[in-house]
Amino acid sequence: MLLNFDSLGSWRWVLTIIVVMVAAFLLLPIVFIAALSFGSSQWLIFPPPGWTTKWYHDLFADPSWLKAAWTSLRIAVAVSFLSVLIGLVASFGLVRGSFPGRAFLRGLFITPMILPVVVLAVAIYAFFLRIGLNGTVAGFVIAHLVVALPFSILALTTALEEFDRSIEDAAVLCGASPFEAKLRITLPSISHGLFAAAIFSFLTSWDEVVLAIFMASPTLQTLPVKIWSTLRQDLTPVIAAASTLLICLTIILMLIAAAVKKGLKK
Amino acid sequence: MTHPFLEIRGIRKEYAMIPAVRDVSLNIRKGEFMTFLGPSGSGKSTTLFILAGFQDPTAGDILLEGKSLLSTPSQHRNIGMVFQRYTLFPHLTVAENIAFPLKVRRWPKARIEAKVAEMLRLVRLEGFETRKPATMSGGQQQRVALARALAYDPPVLLMDEPLSALDKRLREEIQVEIRRIHQQTGVTILYVTHDQEEALRMSDRIAVFSKGVIDQVGTGEELYANPATRFVAGFIGDSDFIDCELRGAAGGKAKVALKDGLEIGGIPLHGEGKPGARVALMLRPERTRIDPAGASGGAIPAVVTDITFLGSNVHVATETETGAPVSVRLPFGHPSISALARGQKVGLGFDPAEAHVFS
Ligand SMILES: Nc1ncnc2c1ncn2[C@@H]1O[C@H](COP(=O)(O)OP(=O)(O)OP(=O)(O)O)[C@@H](O)[C@H]1O
Ligand SMILES: [Mg+2]
Repeated sequence: MLLNFDSLGSWRWVLTIIVVMVAAFLLLPIVFIAALSFGSSQWLIFPPPGWTTKWYHDLFADPSWLKAAWTSLRIAVAVSFLSVLIGLVASFGLVRGSFPGRAFLRGLFITPMILPVVVLAVAIYAFFLRIGLNGTVAGFVIAHLVVALPFSILALTTALEEFDRSIEDAAVLCGASPFEAKLRITLPSISHGLFAAAIFSFLTSWDEVVLAIFMASPTLQTLPVKIWSTLRQDLTPVIAAASTLLICLTIILMLIAAAVKKGLKK
Repeated sequence: MTHPFLEIRGIRKEYAMIPAVRDVSLNIRKGEFMTFLGPSGSGKSTTLFILAGFQDPTAGDILLEGKSLLSTPSQHRNIGMVFQRYTLFPHLTVAENIAFPLKVRRWPKARIEAKVAEMLRLVRLEGFETRKPATMSGGQQQRVALARALAYDPPVLLMDEPLSALDKRLREEIQVEIRRIHQQTGVTILYVTHDQEEALRMSDRIAVFSKGVIDQVGTGEELYANPATRFVAGFIGDSDFIDCELRGAAGGKAKVALKDGLEIGGIPLHGEGKPGARVALMLRPERTRIDPAGASGGAIPAVVTDITFLGSNVHVATETETGAPVSVRLPFGHPSISALARGQKVGLGFDPAEAHVFS
């Protein structure tokens, strides 16, 4: 290897300190929030003067928080499902098809990833205003699909390209129809790509806030929007509790994704 | 009138106007082991893919027992195929892989189980039922692929360089297995390779592909003894070519003159040629004689450039006075060997009836 850690001498310590600092920079806010959510002070004082689970009780006692979480979950599941489905069909076209402009189309599908979300949000908002989709679950789902699809397409085109087409051809020659071969052979073979697409799409929707703020109505809002709007009204540790739970679910999903990936490699 | 078992009739295939297969016609007998031999890009795989139904020919037809296959989609052709790359279904076990075509055909469970066991016996992989493809060697995977392709008793089995990813020893081992399985099952096999030794070892007949056409079809012996084109002569067995001029042709025999004026007659002529045309004289290293005493009485004068010991035989490289390299293979212990040295002037002789002239 070009950079061998063991042969770096005293640079090892410099490197170690830098890595620890970067990790701390990334992780401390999360630890901070989690600590505050269990702190007894109403004013988010750090370090907390004492410990309590009161804020979690408050959180679960308030139906508006639960409603927001439920809305978030429903939307994220729908986005995840549709993103995989549409991403799969699109990826088959992009990888297997032979039509002019294929490479261009592939680039086009990825653009929502690099476009500023606010720009997308304003455009979608203006468009949905006309067709009356603002403040509806469908509006949320479609808006989030726009930003989730690139992840899905990226994961699935990669998986499909790595998959040897001859394996599907072999299944067809074995007597399976092309559709059956895809369903029974190709899809299970690219399951890691399907999982990755599903989880990243879910997470994209689950903690997305900019589009959600534009889509939300007083009666329909996702968890990140609820956190955001509560934050503007008053600074209560309940927000810290909600954020902690949001982060927990995200971490759990990432761990599942990692475990699935590892399990599939075997 | 009886039909040939499998007939390939005037197949042509173009990719974006560039022909990959130009005009291929071939009749294959039931139970025959037919090999497509040819260099890379000569259209062997394309022909096989057309038979499998993965590609449609631009022109021509394929008939199995007199009935055209072209309108039948791949999944209904009932053809078996083993691919160059490993194509076992990665998420299924060995037994599930072999059972796949049978499940698709909705065979009853007991019959599937019996057939899977029979196929595993055939390829000698009993005890591998529950293994996943990723845990097996390339040779084992190709044997499972063979079992899967034969499980539904296809009338025709296609094999596209199934052994090219294996090392030499393993390749020879599986070649023997495939021969045995061919004899045991009687299945008609179309086998693609660019390895002449593999083709000679395994096939009943060989079709030599070159640039999208079949140059010649025949048994290994026929191709070796009577190559129809210069390409076939160069591809089957070792050969040297000497440029010369055609002096006359009669009754399929040619009389040629080497550059130094030496005339030799009575050599089988392949192709057309008018007197004065430039032609190639082909010699086989194992049939060429070498006279350490030098050229006399119609022998071709040459100089030894190198002598290489190759175990059971000795390879003598020479160059004729006109500059053409000609090699001679002598069995180990041949009396001439001790009399040869590098730089020595020798005479090369051959039996005109065994040589060939190509226009
Ligand atoms: N899908 C394709 N699109 C365009 N050209 C192709 C395609 N498949 C094959 N060809 C071309 O057709 C010609 C014949 O290819 P083919 O694969 O039949 O050769 P082959 O004899 O099997 O060679 P090899 O020994 O390398 O497998 C080649 O020149 C190849 O580049
Ligand atoms: Mg090929």
